Amino acid sequence: MRGIRLHSRDGIDAMVLEEFDLPAPGPGQAQIAVHAAGVNFGDTLMVTGQYQEKPDLPFSPGMEAAGEVIALGEGVDNVAVGDRVMGSIGYGGFAEEANVPAANLTPVPDDMDWATAAAFPVAYGTSHVALTYRSHLKSGEVLLVHGAAGGVGLTAVELGKTMGATVIATAGSDDKVALAKSYGADYGINYSNEDIREKVLEYTGGADVVYDPVGGDAFKASLRCINFEGRIIVIGFASGDIPQIPTNYPLVKCFTVDGFVWGAYHRNKIEVIHEGYEGLRKIWATGALKPHISKRYPLAETADAMRFLLARKSTGKVVIETRV
Amino acid sequence: MRSIRVSSLDGVDALTVEDIPPPVAGPGEVRIKVYVGGVNFPDLLMSEGKYQHKPDLPFTPGLEAAGEVIDVGDGVTRFAPGDRVMGFFDFGAFAEEAVVAEKFLMHVPDGMDWEMAGGFTLTHTTSHAALVHERVNLKEGEVLLVHGAAGGVGTTAVQIGKALGCTVVATAGSDDKAQFALDNGADHAINYSSEDIRTRVKELVGGADVVYDPVGGDAFSASLRCINFEGRIIIIGFASGTIADAPANYVLVKNISIVGFPVGSYRRTSPEVLRRSYAGLTDMWASGHLKPQQSHVFPLEQAADAIKALRDRKAKGKVVIKIRDGE
Repeated sequence: MRGIRLHSRDGIDAMVLEEFDLPAPGPGQAQIAVHAAGVNFGDTLMVTGQYQEKPDLPFSPGMEAAGEVIALGEGVDNVAVGDRVMGSIGYGGFAEEANVPAANLTPVPDDMDWATAAAFPVAYGTSHVALTYRSHLKSGEVLLVHGAAGGVGLTAVELGKTMGATVIATAGSDDKVALAKSYGADYGINYSNEDIREKVLEYTGGADVVYDPVGGDAFKASLRCINFEGRIIVIGFASGDIPQIPTNYPLVKCFTVDGFVWGAYHRNKIEVIHEGYEGLRKIWATGALKPHISKRYPLAETADAMRFLLARKSTGKVVIETRV
Repeated sequence: MRSIRVSSLDGVDALTVEDIPPPVAGPGEVRIKVYVGGVNFPDLLMSEGKYQHKPDLPFTPGLEAAGEVIDVGDGVTRFAPGDRVMGFFDFGAFAEEAVVAEKFLMHVPDGMDWEMAGGFTLTHTTSHAALVHERVNLKEGEVLLVHGAAGGVGTTAVQIGKALGCTVVATAGSDDKAQFALDNGADHAINYSSEDIRTRVKELVGGADVVYDPVGGDAFSASLRCINFEGRIIIIGFASGTIADAPANYVLVKNISIVGFPVGSYRRTSPEVLRRSYAGLTDMWASGHLKPQQSHVFPLEQAADAIKALRDRKAKGKVVIKIRDGE
């Protein structure tokens, strides 16, 4: 079978497409025929060795995939051969086949195609668990979503609306703001020419929950427009700027800053991951979710897909289709 | 009546004792004959005009006290003259007579003397409200790390943490204070002037689920490095004088929460949060979970010294002012 592999951690340019044999799935693993894989920022870090998980060389990157189960390792009973599955798999997704932790897999709804399934777990899983389990977003609250046209941001906008929140979307261009509004955001703020705090205060008087995959100035603005008992969920730092939280702010204004790493729940509390998928399947069944894939690439062009993501040109998700 | 007064925002040395007319209980208010008032960090800040709430000058400081009901304003139903009560005041507690809204008063439980009652409400309510609030949700069996554990609020957090079924690790700035925290019920104590908080917490319990932090500074920074997955650090105040920064990537990677808990704001916006704690604390006292605390008692004339004892972190347990004699 064919797959993208790295023989050194020298980044995107060191990735090669080659033929290799996969070993039989180990204990707890399922072997899947990958049909599509989602591209994530974490992939771009893993290929340079900057990600917390450093697989032994050589390895195939690709932390999110959808496919069909073709073999089972010892002790696996949550999936069966022939099942259509998706999930956050650690690595190995940018290949025609992969051995993945079976415990991480969840069924793909019958009416969801492979590319959509590959784009689904990380972005929707992160936003759903963040907004429900981690920050208890309630109907009628104001949700401020930074980076609202990005992979996770767009899903936070959609899910925020399904949960009955008023959603304010921020993004770095008029086009991106328009995309977020087309996904249901009630208000949009283009932070390249508008002041986030001022506009939030003007639109809703403040935010109850802030969903922040951006960091930097967006985070700092959140500190100044968050409501009493508000929650700022720190998801990531797409801006490249990691802010400091002055601890007198949460005290005086009475709010909470929650760090949230969805991936870490696979190791620490996998039941939270699966409760999230259950909730998402119900919302999916209502037809309320329209996963946005901005670009699809064949396996041979995985490097281009990762560069596209890094250039911050993408909206929604970027997907590798392994079998086209 | 005699009252402590703040006539300028020049700090505790500018406090005076003056004779002023007694206050009158308005609708929904209760007037009490004050026996003992409790000293709190905001008293210091208010005397300097640095607290968020800034009463018009001149004013009587004091946020908590215990005493006997003299009379009640229109609409008050839960209290009658002669009742022994304690409460959480807007300000004005450090005088022979004081008024407070009925909703911020509770009856002094059986077996609690004036010294304890006078210093009970604010510190116990702060700790109880913060620890049981859904924003923190301290659960039985979790590890609670209490900084400044020999201080006013810290002492109460240790006792309430134990009453809630937690393993409590206390930190304090001297061996003497660490021992005080152990005597107060803490399972473990760390003297942070000679021991590394993070190393010791990891050795003793592996990590903390909830950190109760009225200290800030280095204690806060140490908390970031010994907190468990899904841990909550409650910011109560900055007794160290240093307001620490939390790097957002720590908060992210460790999947933790930084929870600011300003009890004064809850008093203004959500008095039901305080009332829930009043009930919870009365139960804890009745079931013997709250031990009488060691108090430093100052006479009315030495109110400034009382506040300085708190400021200079010399006090173990609670600092109170005896406003008038009586049982």
